[in-house]
Amino acid sequence: MREVVELGIIQFSAVYLLLIVVLAIMKHAKINQTKLLIVASFRMTIQLILAGLVLTYIFDNQNPLFTTLYLLAMIGFTIKRTLGKSPGLNKQFRIIVAGSIAFSGLSTLAFFVVGIVGQNLFNPQYAIPIAGMIMGNTMTGVTLALKSFSDSLKSQRAKIDSLLNLGATPQKILLPYVNNALETALLPTLNSMVGMGIVSLPGMMTGQILSGTLPMTAIMYQIAIMIVICTTVCLSSFSSLHFGYQTLINSRNQIKLIGEE
Amino acid sequence: MADLLFKAQQLCFHDKICFADLEIPIGKTTFVTGPSGAGKSTLLRLLNGVLSPTHGQLFYLGRNLEDFDTIELRKEVLLVSQSVFLFDGSIRDNFAAFYEHREKSLPSDEKIKKFLSICCLPFETDAITNTMSGGEKQRLYLAIFLSFHPAVLMLDEPTSALDSETANRVMGNIISYCREEGITVIAVSHDKALTEKFSENILALERVENNYA
Repeated sequence: MREVVELGIIQFSAVYLLLIVVLAIMKHAKINQTKLLIVASFRMTIQLILAGLVLTYIFDNQNPLFTTLYLLAMIGFTIKRTLGKSPGLNKQFRIIVAGSIAFSGLSTLAFFVVGIVGQNLFNPQYAIPIAGMIMGNTMTGVTLALKSFSDSLKSQRAKIDSLLNLGATPQKILLPYVNNALETALLPTLNSMVGMGIVSLPGMMTGQILSGTLPMTAIMYQIAIMIVICTTVCLSSFSSLHFGYQTLINSRNQIKLIGEE
Repeated sequence: MADLLFKAQQLCFHDKICFADLEIPIGKTTFVTGPSGAGKSTLLRLLNGVLSPTHGQLFYLGRNLEDFDTIELRKEVLLVSQSVFLFDGSIRDNFAAFYEHREKSLPSDEKIKKFLSICCLPFETDAITNTMSGGEKQRLYLAIFLSFHPAVLMLDEPTSALDSETANRVMGNIISYCREEGITVIAVSHDKALTEKFSENILALERVENNYA
């Protein structure tokens, strides 16, 4: 096995020099985001250092409780950020989105860690990084699904009203929007699978290869995680939308669009 | 009571729009008039159950509107809203899409053309709707809804995109068709001439302060 080269602090710090290039280009192109670049770099550094410290502690003191807490915190942040990016949802809809993310994420995580890798679900070395990848993609997917659903409903007010006046059931009216939004949510994941290996060497595989894993093993992990991500995005978006859209309909067959009082 | 189509008591919607008690008779063409903001469109949407009153009671044929299945009610009390919506494609495609949503089979070309001619739209059924003018679209929209043959036809500004001559002809045709077929027409219109010519009953709405709460 090849050994991974440990990064020394001084060597490592040199990477920040690259930001000067970005700053120079931004200045030249009159992009007023220098503050954001500095804040983003700073936040990323602090957040990752903290995560590194916490992970070091959890790895040194293996305890199912720590793993569980870490996973719960991850899921909690995913839900919070997803809901934060999807304003106007009613309370029931929000609960459904939260439940969908938690349920889909945890069940595919368990399938991967226990079923495929054959490890204990509470083994932090597997559960935490895998959960991180799953949750990151789920957040993007569900946010996209909800945004696309809500935007298309808003732009189609006249159609929805016409069909409602006609005496069509609200379910029949809204279902096409649900299915379209699901498709929108799935496309980025599917597209990245199409380009994988040619356009991009995905991060997880790269990481494993850098740390000395045989490329074929890294590839199998990568394929597995992509399928898990695709499944989770699909499951969580599907159940968010399918159960969620029904909260827009009341017992009098009236429709209250997202963001309406 | 039996010859009343609708009756409303102390009706309010979201405490912003309130109505004086009102009655709408069966079989007479009723025009709803009043300044904007008086709640004309809201009233129509309360009558077909797309909105629910937040205060007061509404009766249809002597029975509380709450007791009706809203989907069946909307098919019977059909509202042609102010904002026209058409699907892409031809006139026939549009009939097909609207009929599909009602789970009914597409009427024959002959029947479609009959409703087009009532609405003064001399087009073939395979004419493409995307290139139609606003007025043509509005007439097609009217023709499609009229073809469902409801018990009550509610028209919200049905001729807003038409010149006064066409408006007159279209309204005349629709009202005489509905009279023959026993369909009661309730229309909201800003057009004073149209209202004078075709109304058999006028329901003048005013802005009413919310005294019911």
